[in-house]
Amino acid sequence: MDKLKRRDILKIGALAATGLGFPAILRAQAKEIVILGLWDQTGAFSDVGPLNDRGMRMALEERDMKVLGRPIRYVTRDGATQAGASTRRAEEAVDGEGARFIIGPWSSGVALAVSEVAKRKKVVHLFSGGTEDISGARCHRYSFQWAASPYTAAKTVVDNFMKANPKAKRWHLLVADYAFGWSVEKYVKEVGKTHGIEFVGADRHPLGEREFSNYVQKAAANRPDVVAMINFGGDAVAGAREIFNFGLTPRLPLIMSWSSGVEELVQLAPEIRDNLWVGTNFYYTADTPVAKSFVKSYQAKFKLPPGYAPSAAYSMTRMLLAGFDKAGSDDVQAVVKALEGLEMNDIVGPMRVDGATHQTLRPYFFLRCKPKSAMKHELDFADVVATGDAPLPKEYAACKDIGSF
Amino acid sequence: MLYALMGLGLSLITGVLNIPNFAHGALFAVGAYLLVTVVNALGSFWIGLVVAPVGVALLGFAIEYAGIRRLYAAGHDYQLLFTFGLSLILAEGIILVWGPVGISHLPPEILRGGMDLGFTFYPKYRLFVMVAAGLLVFLTWLFLEKTRYGAIMRAGIENKEMVSLLGIDIHRLFTAAFALGAYLAGIAGALTAPIRGLSPGMGVDMLGIAFVVVALGGLGNLLGAIAAGLLIGVAQALVAAYWTEASTVVIYAVMAAVLLVRPQGLFGIR
Repeated sequence: MDKLKRRDILKIGALAATGLGFPAILRAQAKEIVILGLWDQTGAFSDVGPLNDRGMRMALEERDMKVLGRPIRYVTRDGATQAGASTRRAEEAVDGEGARFIIGPWSSGVALAVSEVAKRKKVVHLFSGGTEDISGARCHRYSFQWAASPYTAAKTVVDNFMKANPKAKRWHLLVADYAFGWSVEKYVKEVGKTHGIEFVGADRHPLGEREFSNYVQKAAANRPDVVAMINFGGDAVAGAREIFNFGLTPRLPLIMSWSSGVEELVQLAPEIRDNLWVGTNFYYTADTPVAKSFVKSYQAKFKLPPGYAPSAAYSMTRMLLAGFDKAGSDDVQAVVKALEGLEMNDIVGPMRVDGATHQTLRPYFFLRCKPKSAMKHELDFADVVATGDAPLPKEYAACKDIGSF
Repeated sequence: MLYALMGLGLSLITGVLNIPNFAHGALFAVGAYLLVTVVNALGSFWIGLVVAPVGVALLGFAIEYAGIRRLYAAGHDYQLLFTFGLSLILAEGIILVWGPVGISHLPPEILRGGMDLGFTFYPKYRLFVMVAAGLLVFLTWLFLEKTRYGAIMRAGIENKEMVSLLGIDIHRLFTAAFALGAYLAGIAGALTAPIRGLSPGMGVDMLGIAFVVVALGGLGNLLGAIAAGLLIGVAQALVAAYWTEASTVVIYAVMAAVLLVRPQGLFGIR
């Protein structure tokens, strides 16, 4: 009895596999445009993937899943926060589903690997994250970067923080040990020089670290004026919590240089947010028409306002669709050319894609969190202190030649 | 000390019931979430600390009574699949009840902030946890070594057939051991909540460490679990002071090194 059952299950499985596999190939032959959302549903960014997916779906649904008068088929795959799984699934979607447009994944280290797939398979790739290499040393014609350049971010954060705290010259850094952390750290130190900042310590931690007591002990021993974290998501939340538990904040200011915004702040109790300064690619009170309508409909659906993750996916999808519109075609080369130099007034304000590097030039946000007593409502986390859009200076630009198709 | 607490509970379950409990991490997470719920409802951390682990122990009781009991004869594969499935169900259950977004929970007012110990700076709450976990480990040890029921439990680890031949209800013993193991996981979770915060996946990291502790101390060896928990905690702290980046990997490096020299664990398999 037992064996029979198992065999039946195998049969059903085989039937299901053929049933699912063939129509996919047939469908791809219709006149639809297939877009892949490569989002992490497992691994270190498993909490972010579902948010990315929300944003991307909302952008597509706004257009009734149509562009150029043709239906869009949205395919999504789990990138697993791993280069191996992400590249394999991206290739599968390109070969098996006919996807020629990829958005994602979330981790900059993994996205660099996917960018190589895009180059080899000659498909369009949009990405948002903190590595400078996609629009820098490893730039090519097919990949585009939505997030602010790490230089823009570092400049916005350091300049505006020093304006408010001119005496805080001793900095201790806590850096996520992968592509994104290294990029932002490099420019925080560069910009720091112009303010005479002394970096009394810089510790690197692996992605997915949850035990920060050892790092914080070392930071406290350095007696800094300020601790600046260059990490993201769960790491940033765990770090901020531990820094508070050790009694460093609110006595000292803490900077989260590259934060997800709402999604991280909501996980921190108001006491922990006291004297917390935040740099982010998007904050939900951004005063732009696109942000206002997006935040409203997102919040109606999901209660919490959107942070960086859904907003980036939303805006990248809009950017790709604007590329289709401008090109008047879904030909890969035509869309790439249309995206190069594309100008939009989108979710963060005026944005322009630099054709020479594929870096999006756009504002970056700097926030100061409110103490509990100043919060007007539960989600009133912070004020936008400033925005900055200083582009990467020529002498740092590593993308010398974007190359040909 | 927290590691010892988790390892002790898991080792008890492994030893007495002879099953790999992959749901141990999830029970840890449930303990943390129950604490926060009770504290938010009643406003007292201390009541939460008492109530939450009892809730987890009841959950453990139910799991053993309704589920694991049916699988003793089925072999390790089934037990493993059952407890692993259970851990996923519990994690998803947490998402359903408390939502997917992480939560920060502050320590009680008098234990907030840090303390200057002269040679280093340390949060008061962590000092409290060290003392509390040490006390719990000691009490559990007292119970196992000095009470009649504790002796029966240890006898159950040594020789189940003999214990049941002596007229002791072995099923009741299994249920009690599982509930006690769950209680220890629950209180470890509750104590950890203000340190690490809460997220539905918080049990996964802890489960890995708990298994390391159990393997290192010797499968089912209770004293071994306590010693291994302490050893790993101390090794991690020492390495962190000199080479921060390696503080996570050292847990597994210590295990690999010890198992190479002593495959049966520090104190041998019971």
